[in-house]
Amino acid sequence: MAAQDGGKSEVGVNSSPALKPKDWVLLSLRLVALFATAAATIVMALNKQTNTVVVATVGNTPVKVAVTAKFQQTPAFVFFVVANGMASFHNWLMIVVELFGHKIDYKGLRLAIIAILDMMTVALASAGDGAATFMAEVGKNGNSHARWNKICDKFHAYCDRGSGALIASFIGLLILLIINVMSISKLLKPKHTYIGVP
Amino acid sequence: MITKTWKMIFTLLLRLLALTATLAATLVMVTAHDSTEVMNFTFKAKYSYEPAFKYFVVAEAIASGYSLIVLFLSSKNSFSRLVMILDMVVAMLLISSVSAAMAVAYVGKKGNIHAGWLPICGEVAKFCNQATGALISGFLAAIMYLLLLIYSLHDTAYWMS
Repeated sequence: MAAQDGGKSEVGVNSSPALKPKDWVLLSLRLVALFATAAATIVMALNKQTNTVVVATVGNTPVKVAVTAKFQQTPAFVFFVVANGMASFHNWLMIVVELFGHKIDYKGLRLAIIAILDMMTVALASAGDGAATFMAEVGKNGNSHARWNKICDKFHAYCDRGSGALIASFIGLLILLIINVMSISKLLKPKHTYIGVP
Repeated sequence: MITKTWKMIFTLLLRLLALTATLAATLVMVTAHDSTEVMNFTFKAKYSYEPAFKYFVVAEAIASGYSLIVLFLSSKNSFSRLVMILDMVVAMLLISSVSAAMAVAYVGKKGNIHAGWLPICGEVAKFCNQATGALISGFLAAIMYLLLLIYSLHDTAYWMS
Protein backbone atom coordinates (compact mmCIF):
# COMPACT_ATOMS: atom_id res chain seq x y z
CA MET A 1 0.00 0.00 0.00
CA ALA A 2 2.95 2.28 0.43
CA ALA A 3 3.65 2.09 -3.32
CA GLN A 4 0.14 3.32 -4.28
CA ASP A 5 0.88 6.93 -3.50
CA GLY A 6 4.18 6.79 -5.26
CA GLY A 7 6.14 6.33 -2.04
CA LYS A 8 4.47 9.21 -0.21
CA SER A 9 3.20 8.10 3.15
CA GLU A 10 -0.48 8.42 3.93
CA VAL A 11 -0.09 10.38 7.09
CA GLY A 12 0.65 13.70 5.43
CA VAL A 13 -2.25 14.84 3.29
CA ASN A 14 -5.31 12.68 2.84
CA SER A 15 -5.75 12.63 -0.91
CA SER A 16 -8.99 10.64 -1.15
CA PRO A 17 -12.05 12.70 -0.23
CA ALA A 18 -14.51 9.80 -0.27
CA LEU A 19 -15.65 8.48 3.12
CA LYS A 20 -15.50 4.80 3.80
CA PRO A 21 -18.53 2.98 5.34
CA LYS A 22 -16.90 2.91 8.77
CA ASP A 23 -16.55 6.68 8.62
CA TRP A 24 -20.28 6.95 7.95
CA VAL A 25 -20.97 5.00 11.15
CA LEU A 26 -18.74 7.36 13.13
CA LEU A 27 -20.29 10.38 11.45
CA SER A 28 -23.86 9.31 12.19
CA LEU A 29 -22.92 8.55 15.79
CA ARG A 30 -21.49 12.04 16.10
CA LEU A 31 -24.68 13.46 14.64
CA VAL A 32 -26.80 11.63 17.21
CA ALA A 33 -24.48 12.78 19.97
CA LEU A 34 -24.78 16.35 18.68
CA PHE A 35 -28.56 16.16 18.81
CA ALA A 36 -28.55 14.62 22.28
CA THR A 37 -26.17 17.14 23.87
CA ALA A 38 -27.80 20.08 22.08
CA ALA A 39 -31.22 18.93 23.29
CA ALA A 40 -29.91 18.61 26.84
CA THR A 41 -28.40 22.10 26.72
CA ILE A 42 -31.49 23.75 25.29
CA VAL A 43 -34.03 21.99 27.51
CA MET A 44 -32.10 22.78 30.67
CA ALA A 45 -31.36 26.35 29.60
CA LEU A 46 -35.06 27.02 29.08
CA ASN A 47 -36.04 25.27 32.28
CA LYS A 48 -38.08 27.65 34.40
CA GLN A 49 -41.25 27.38 36.40
CA THR A 50 -43.16 29.97 38.36
CA ASN A 51 -45.63 29.10 41.09
CA THR A 52 -47.89 31.57 42.81
CA VAL A 53 -48.15 30.84 46.49
CA VAL A 54 -50.73 32.34 48.78
CA VAL A 55 -48.76 33.69 51.69
CA ALA A 56 -51.41 35.46 53.76
CA THR A 57 -54.95 36.70 53.55
CA VAL A 58 -55.58 40.38 54.13
CA GLY A 59 -59.28 40.79 54.68
CA ASN A 60 -60.82 39.04 51.71
CA THR A 61 -57.96 39.24 49.21
CA PRO A 62 -55.21 36.64 49.36
CA VAL A 63 -51.64 37.90 49.13
CA LYS A 64 -49.84 35.96 46.42
CA VAL A 65 -46.13 35.67 45.98
CA ALA A 66 -44.55 34.34 42.81
CA VAL A 67 -41.87 31.75 43.49
CA THR A 68 -39.68 30.86 40.54
CA ALA A 69 -37.46 27.86 39.98
CA LYS A 70 -34.78 28.51 37.37
CA PHE A 71 -31.74 26.54 36.37
CA GLN A 72 -29.45 29.47 37.22
CA GLN A 73 -30.23 29.03 40.90
CA THR A 74 -28.20 25.85 41.06
CA PRO A 75 -24.51 26.10 40.11
CA ALA A 76 -24.49 22.42 39.15
CA PHE A 77 -27.15 23.03 36.50
CA VAL A 78 -25.28 26.05 35.16
CA PHE A 79 -22.20 23.84 34.82
CA PHE A 80 -24.41 21.19 33.17
CA VAL A 81 -25.61 23.68 30.55
CA VAL A 82 -22.07 24.93 29.88
CA ALA A 83 -20.61 21.41 29.68
CA ASN A 84 -23.27 20.12 27.32
CA GLY A 85 -23.02 23.28 25.23
CA MET A 86 -19.30 22.73 24.82
CA ALA A 87 -19.88 19.06 24.04
CA SER A 88 -22.36 20.03 21.32
CA PHE A 89 -19.85 22.50 19.90
CA HIS A 90 -17.18 19.80 19.89
CA ASN A 91 -19.50 17.33 18.12
CA TRP A 92 -20.43 19.92 15.52
CA LEU A 93 -16.77 20.82 14.98
CA MET A 94 -15.80 17.16 14.56
CA ILE A 95 -18.58 16.63 12.01
CA VAL A 96 -17.45 19.69 10.04
CA VAL A 97 -13.82 18.56 10.16
CA GLU A 98 -14.82 15.08 9.04
CA LEU A 99 -16.87 16.35 6.12
CA PHE A 100 -14.90 19.36 4.94
CA GLY A 101 -11.49 19.22 6.51
CA HIS A 102 -9.63 16.82 4.28
CA LYS A 103 -7.36 19.42 2.71
CA ILE A 104 -5.78 20.58 5.97
CA ASP A 105 -2.35 19.17 6.74
CA TYR A 106 -2.34 17.83 10.27
CA LYS A 107 1.24 16.63 10.12
CA GLY A 108 0.19 13.10 10.93
CA LEU A 109 -1.39 13.97 14.25
CA ARG A 110 -4.98 14.08 13.05
CA LEU A 111 -6.13 10.93 14.81
CA ALA A 112 -4.29 11.84 17.98
CA ILE A 113 -5.78 15.34 18.13
CA ILE A 114 -9.27 13.97 17.52
CA ALA A 115 -8.83 11.29 20.17
CA ILE A 116 -7.51 13.73 22.76
CA LEU A 117 -10.26 16.27 22.08
CA ASP A 118 -12.85 13.50 22.27
CA MET A 119 -11.45 12.44 25.61
CA MET A 120 -11.57 15.96 27.00
CA THR A 121 -15.17 16.32 25.89
CA VAL A 122 -16.08 13.00 27.52
CA ALA A 123 -14.46 14.22 30.74
CA LEU A 124 -16.34 17.54 30.64
CA ALA A 125 -19.67 15.97 29.78
CA SER A 126 -19.36 13.31 32.47
CA ALA A 127 -18.53 15.95 35.08
CA GLY A 128 -21.57 18.01 34.10
CA ASP A 129 -23.82 14.96 34.12
CA GLY A 130 -22.61 13.73 37.48
CA ALA A 131 -23.08 17.06 39.20
CA ALA A 132 -26.53 17.66 37.73
CA THR A 133 -27.76 14.12 38.46
CA PHE A 134 -27.00 14.26 42.13
CA MET A 135 -28.29 17.80 42.55
CA ALA A 136 -31.52 16.66 40.88
CA GLU A 137 -31.59 13.69 43.26
CA VAL A 138 -31.36 16.03 46.26
CA GLY A 139 -34.12 18.16 44.75
CA LYS A 140 -36.30 15.13 44.22
CA ASN A 141 -35.80 13.32 47.50
CA GLY A 142 -34.49 16.01 49.77
CA ASN A 143 -32.08 15.12 52.53
CA SER A 144 -33.67 14.53 55.88
CA HIS A 145 -30.35 14.54 57.73
CA ALA A 146 -29.38 17.96 56.48
CA ARG A 147 -32.96 19.25 56.78
CA TRP A 148 -33.18 19.98 53.06
CA ASN A 149 -36.72 19.75 51.76
CA LYS A 150 -37.52 18.30 48.39
CA ILE A 151 -38.70 20.76 45.79
CA CYS A 152 -40.07 18.44 43.14
CA ASP A 153 -43.47 18.14 44.75
CA LYS A 154 -44.03 21.86 44.23
CA PHE A 155 -42.33 22.30 40.86
CA HIS A 156 -43.41 19.27 38.83
CA ALA A 157 -42.77 20.71 35.37
CA TYR A 158 -39.32 22.02 36.34
CA CYS A 159 -38.29 18.61 37.63
CA ASP A 160 -39.75 16.78 34.62
CA ARG A 161 -37.94 18.99 32.14
CA GLY A 162 -34.75 18.66 34.16
CA SER A 163 -35.02 14.88 34.09
CA GLY A 164 -35.59 15.00 30.34
CA ALA A 165 -32.46 17.09 29.86
CA LEU A 166 -30.50 14.69 32.08
CA ILE A 167 -31.65 11.64 30.12
CA ALA A 168 -30.70 13.32 26.82
CA SER A 169 -27.26 14.15 28.18
CA PHE A 170 -26.77 10.56 29.40
CA ILE A 171 -27.50 9.31 25.90
CA GLY A 172 -25.09 11.90 24.51
CA LEU A 173 -22.41 10.86 27.00
CA LEU A 174 -22.80 7.17 26.19
CA ILE A 175 -22.51 7.83 22.48
CA LEU A 176 -19.53 10.15 23.07
CA LEU A 177 -17.88 7.33 25.00
CA ILE A 178 -18.46 4.90 22.12
CA ILE A 179 -17.10 7.45 19.66
CA ASN A 180 -14.04 7.98 21.84
CA VAL A 181 -13.38 4.24 22.07
CA MET A 182 -13.68 4.04 18.28
CA SER A 183 -11.28 6.97 17.82
CA ILE A 184 -8.76 5.41 20.19
CA SER A 185 -8.95 2.02 18.49
CA LYS A 186 -8.47 3.75 15.14
CA LEU A 187 -5.39 5.33 16.65
CA LEU A 188 -4.00 2.10 18.07
CA LYS A 189 -4.66 -0.05 15.04
CA PRO A 190 -1.72 -0.01 12.65
CA LYS A 191 -3.69 1.19 9.64
CA HIS A 192 -0.81 2.86 7.90
CA THR A 193 2.13 0.91 6.61
CA TYR A 194 5.43 2.37 7.57
CA ILE A 195 8.51 1.95 5.52
CA GLY A 196 11.07 0.11 7.55
CA VAL A 197 9.06 -0.14 10.76
CA PRO A 198 7.85 -3.65 11.70
CA MET B 1 15.90 11.06 23.97
CA ILE B 2 13.37 9.36 26.20
CA THR B 3 13.86 5.62 26.16
CA LYS B 4 11.24 3.00 26.70
CA THR B 5 12.17 2.44 30.35
CA TRP B 6 11.70 6.12 31.17
CA LYS B 7 8.26 6.02 29.60
CA MET B 8 7.37 2.95 31.63
CA ILE B 9 8.66 4.55 34.82
CA PHE B 10 6.65 7.70 34.17
CA THR B 11 3.45 5.73 33.55
CA LEU B 12 4.10 3.60 36.63
CA LEU B 13 4.65 6.71 38.72
CA LEU B 14 1.39 8.25 37.51
CA ARG B 15 -0.48 5.05 38.32
CA LEU B 16 1.07 4.87 41.77
CA LEU B 17 0.09 8.48 42.48
CA ALA B 18 -3.43 7.78 41.25
CA LEU B 19 -3.62 4.73 43.51
CA THR B 20 -2.56 6.73 46.57
CA ALA B 21 -4.96 9.54 45.74
CA THR B 22 -7.99 7.27 45.24
CA LEU B 23 -7.19 5.25 48.33
CA ALA B 24 -6.79 8.42 50.39
CA ALA B 25 -10.04 9.83 49.05
CA THR B 26 -11.97 6.66 49.92
CA LEU B 27 -10.57 6.32 53.42
CA VAL B 28 -10.86 9.98 54.35
CA MET B 29 -14.46 10.20 53.17
CA VAL B 30 -15.48 6.98 54.90
CA THR B 31 -14.03 8.06 58.24
CA ALA B 32 -15.55 11.53 58.11
CA HIS B 33 -18.28 11.99 60.68
CA ASP B 34 -19.39 14.59 63.14
CA SER B 35 -22.35 15.26 65.37
CA THR B 36 -23.54 18.29 67.28
CA GLU B 37 -26.45 19.08 69.52
CA VAL B 38 -28.53 21.87 68.10
CA MET B 39 -31.62 22.93 69.96
CA ASN B 40 -32.64 19.57 71.38
CA PHE B 41 -31.86 17.34 68.42
CA THR B 42 -28.58 15.77 67.44
CA PHE B 43 -27.26 16.84 64.08
CA LYS B 44 -25.20 13.99 62.68
CA ALA B 45 -23.20 13.96 59.48
CA LYS B 46 -21.78 10.90 57.77
CA TYR B 47 -20.91 10.13 54.18
CA SER B 48 -23.71 7.58 53.95
CA TYR B 49 -26.38 10.19 54.57
CA GLU B 50 -25.92 11.62 51.08
CA PRO B 51 -26.12 9.55 47.87
CA ALA B 52 -23.55 11.74 46.10
CA PHE B 53 -20.93 10.95 48.77
CA LYS B 54 -21.82 7.25 48.65
CA TYR B 55 -21.28 7.30 44.89
CA PHE B 56 -17.97 9.12 45.50
CA VAL B 57 -16.76 6.45 47.93
CA VAL B 58 -17.82 3.59 45.65
CA ALA B 59 -16.23 5.15 42.58
CA GLU B 60 -12.95 5.89 44.34
CA ALA B 61 -12.86 2.37 45.78
CA ILE B 62 -13.39 0.84 42.34
CA ALA B 63 -10.71 3.11 40.90
CA SER B 64 -8.17 2.20 43.60
CA GLY B 65 -8.83 -1.53 43.11
CA TYR B 66 -8.41 -1.11 39.36
CA SER B 67 -5.20 0.92 39.83
CA LEU B 68 -3.77 -1.78 42.05
CA ILE B 69 -4.53 -4.53 39.54
CA VAL B 70 -3.15 -2.61 36.57
CA LEU B 71 0.05 -1.71 38.46
CA PHE B 72 0.90 -5.38 38.50
CA LEU B 73 0.32 -6.03 34.83
CA SER B 74 1.56 -2.86 33.20
CA SER B 75 4.44 -4.55 31.42
CA LYS B 76 2.37 -6.87 29.23
CA ASN B 77 1.70 -5.41 25.81
CA SER B 78 -1.21 -7.60 24.78
CA PHE B 79 -3.55 -5.90 27.21
CA SER B 80 -2.56 -2.37 26.31
CA ARG B 81 -5.63 -1.53 24.27
CA LEU B 82 -7.98 -2.96 26.90
CA VAL B 83 -6.11 -1.11 29.62
CA MET B 84 -6.41 2.16 27.74
CA ILE B 85 -10.15 1.75 27.29
CA LEU B 86 -10.65 0.73 30.91
CA ASP B 87 -8.49 3.69 31.95
CA MET B 88 -10.89 5.94 30.12
CA VAL B 89 -13.95 4.39 31.73
CA VAL B 90 -12.40 4.68 35.19
CA ALA B 91 -11.35 8.28 34.49
CA MET B 92 -14.92 9.08 33.50
CA LEU B 93 -16.20 7.44 36.69
CA LEU B 94 -13.75 9.38 38.83
CA ILE B 95 -14.52 12.70 37.20
CA SER B 96 -18.27 12.30 37.49
CA SER B 97 -18.06 11.20 41.14
CA VAL B 98 -15.83 14.13 42.12
CA SER B 99 -18.12 16.51 40.28
CA ALA B 100 -21.25 15.11 41.94
CA ALA B 101 -19.73 15.20 45.41
CA MET B 102 -18.48 18.74 44.84
CA ALA B 103 -21.93 19.90 43.72
CA VAL B 104 -23.55 18.61 46.91
CA ALA B 105 -20.65 19.81 49.07
CA TYR B 106 -21.14 23.29 47.62
CA VAL B 107 -24.75 23.26 48.78
CA GLY B 108 -23.59 22.01 52.16
CA LYS B 109 -21.14 24.84 52.49
CA LYS B 110 -23.03 27.76 50.98
CA GLY B 111 -26.61 26.54 51.05
CA ASN B 112 -29.15 27.23 48.35
CA ILE B 113 -31.31 30.15 49.31
CA HIS B 114 -33.83 29.63 46.52
CA ALA B 115 -34.62 26.10 47.59
CA GLY B 116 -34.54 26.95 51.26
CA TRP B 117 -31.55 24.70 51.95
CA LEU B 118 -29.37 25.94 54.78
CA PRO B 119 -25.63 25.28 54.85
CA ILE B 120 -24.56 22.63 57.31
CA CYS B 121 -20.84 23.33 57.53
CA GLY B 122 -21.35 25.69 60.42
CA GLU B 123 -22.70 22.89 62.57
CA VAL B 124 -20.59 19.92 61.48
CA ALA B 125 -17.28 21.59 60.68
CA LYS B 126 -15.16 18.47 61.27
CA PHE B 127 -17.15 16.48 58.71
CA CYS B 128 -16.93 19.35 56.23
CA ASN B 129 -13.15 19.64 56.56
CA GLN B 130 -12.57 15.93 56.11
CA ALA B 131 -14.96 15.81 53.17
CA THR B 132 -13.08 18.72 51.60
CA GLY B 133 -9.82 16.82 52.00
CA ALA B 134 -11.33 13.72 50.41
CA LEU B 135 -12.66 15.81 47.52
CA ILE B 136 -9.26 17.39 46.89
CA SER B 137 -7.68 13.95 46.85
CA GLY B 138 -10.35 12.68 44.46
CA PHE B 139 -9.82 15.66 42.20
CA LEU B 140 -6.06 14.97 42.09
CA ALA B 141 -6.77 11.33 41.29
CA ALA B 142 -8.98 12.35 38.37
CA ILE B 143 -6.23 14.66 37.08
CA MET B 144 -3.68 11.82 37.38
CA TYR B 145 -5.90 9.55 35.32
CA LEU B 146 -6.42 12.21 32.67
CA LEU B 147 -2.67 12.81 32.48
CA LEU B 148 -2.14 9.07 32.16
CA LEU B 149 -4.62 8.82 29.31
CA ILE B 150 -3.23 11.81 27.42
CA TYR B 151 0.32 10.56 27.92
CA SER B 152 -0.50 7.07 26.63
CA LEU B 153 -2.33 8.54 23.65
CA HIS B 154 0.49 10.93 22.86
CA ASP B 155 3.00 8.15 23.28
CA THR B 156 1.15 5.87 20.86
CA ALA B 157 0.55 8.66 18.37
CA TYR B 158 4.16 9.81 18.44
CA TRP B 159 5.29 6.31 17.77
CA MET B 160 2.84 5.92 14.92
CA SER B 161 3.46 9.15 13.03
